[in-house]
Amino acid sequence: MTLTTTSFDWVRALVHKESAIVLQPGKEYLVEARLLPIARERGIPDVSQFVDSVRNRPDADCNRRIVEALTTNETSWFRDGDPFTALTSTVMPALLAARGPNERLQIWSAASSSGQEPYTIAMLLEDSIPNATSRVSITATDLSREMVTRTKAGRFSQLEVNRGLPAPMLVRHFTRVGNEWEVAAPLRRMVTATECNLAAPLPRMGPFDVVYLRNVLIYFDLPTKQAILRRVRDLMRPDGWLFLGAAETTLGVDDSWERVVVGRSSAYRPLKGA
Amino acid sequence: MTTIDSGERRRAVDARPLITELIDAPTVESIAGEAWIALVGEDEVLIPIPGDLPVDPLSAWVDVVGPWTGSVVLTTGRRTAAELTRALLGPAAPAELEDEDVADAFGEIANVVGGNVKAALPGPSGLSLPDVGDAPAVRNPADLCRIDVLWRGQPVAISVQGALPALPLTH
Amino acid sequence: MRALVIDDSRAMRRIVTAILEGLGYEVRGAGHGREGLDVLDEGWIPELVCVDWNMPVMDGLQFVSAVRSNPSWRSITLMMVTSESEHTQIVRALAAGAHEYVIKPFTADAIRDKLALLGLLPQEVAL
Repeated sequence: MTLTTTSFDWVRALVHKESAIVLQPGKEYLVEARLLPIARERGIPDVSQFVDSVRNRPDADCNRRIVEALTTNETSWFRDGDPFTALTSTVMPALLAARGPNERLQIWSAASSSGQEPYTIAMLLEDSIPNATSRVSITATDLSREMVTRTKAGRFSQLEVNRGLPAPMLVRHFTRVGNEWEVAAPLRRMVTATECNLAAPLPRMGPFDVVYLRNVLIYFDLPTKQAILRRVRDLMRPDGWLFLGAAETTLGVDDSWERVVVGRSSAYRPLKGA
Repeated sequence: MTTIDSGERRRAVDARPLITELIDAPTVESIAGEAWIALVGEDEVLIPIPGDLPVDPLSAWVDVVGPWTGSVVLTTGRRTAAELTRALLGPAAPAELEDEDVADAFGEIANVVGGNVKAALPGPSGLSLPDVGDAPAVRNPADLCRIDVLWRGQPVAISVQGALPALPLTH
Repeated sequence: MRALVIDDSRAMRRIVTAILEGLGYEVRGAGHGREGLDVLDEGWIPELVCVDWNMPVMDGLQFVSAVRSNPSWRSITLMMVTSESEHTQIVRALAAGAHEYVIKPFTADAIRDKLALLGLLPQEVAL
């Protein structure tokens, strides 16, 4: 069955609302091709049927996946590089000074998709702090089982490694396997990937020193945003750091955070006593 | 130490791996698929269905020289090669396409696919500049990995084929 | 900002040129390394050179070495854009003095991401 006009229009409206990108009529086949894997992952064989089910039962994660599938071909490695610069220039030095030499630092990359963000963090840390692979552990979570499997495998296509990964880091941390590139084993050991639904009670994890929760909150309504921020805060160390997407903020959503400027980026820290 | 020619050299040549031991059709398909999506257009998918190539097709190929030596050959109809050229050049395409434009663009696609095939094979290997015309003959049907796909409904064949014939025994 | 695009394929030169012009670059092209050096010898010194590897007359690796051996061209950022995609080849290119490496096939976004890393996105585009 081909995509119905109603389904296509609904997808166009969603993508336009969330990304300001306009899908022209005639792109039905693109919507089909990109959404079919997401539909199948949920056990639905047909895109129109899948879109109908999301329309009838709103699901922020599904919406996010639909928008991502239609707006980005590949996730960039240093997507909006500033929060990564902040990690090595400010956040890690502060944490390393505050923690004991044998204390393991824990970083959470939430909604980590196919793994570019957790591995970007892993590479940066290995290149900048001694014994990074034993001092830091990175938890990568995503709602999609397929994304978690991909992250665990640590394998990326040629097109994916072309997206914003500096060539010196590619040769230092990857080997070529067939037509793909595989992250070095020590970095893969640093990253633990698990399934996790941010909009539901979270599994026991952490406590985290740093959390990357980027370009996720925009898809949720206000009460859900508040609930997520509260749950994230419960999993963080009191002196932890939270990074949100460039278009996101806790201001006006949850007043138990303090916004701090780190270089060209902003981070949020739990307010004491809040 | 003096070595007597015990046929060592010939065996070394015979021991060259066949392409089927080095790469499989899904890998060639994924390489070609990525090349099409990136170069031709993000919606330009290759569908793995064989079609009949026209009687007078055009081929573009590059040679790989190394532990495995052979060619990576793209073959399609002349009209499809011209359409591919237009798609590749997009708004930069000239109003009238010359044969040279088609040879250049089709050759570059062969270079991109060939370079990535080479990188999936044991190295070090060298890559030739692309050539366009009638495809080099298949020397050894066992040393061949071929995929047949449809692009915009038109057949395209991609074959990774050894350059060596089955070596005749020298007496 | 200026960029020189060196590739023996005219189609590829057009594609890379269109991407760079879209980002605000003034672009010139050359069909092989020797032609590229001729452009530099003229005194047309770009901020960026995108250079293919396999070309007739002078290949990209020789071109990179030649540019790196001339101190007056030190300001030029060299980015290889090639279908050579083995780990060892990328290491060779970086060792010869290339700053970045884009594997063909690439998308326009890939070029843009690399330029962002290199700090070579013209300001109005970066914002």
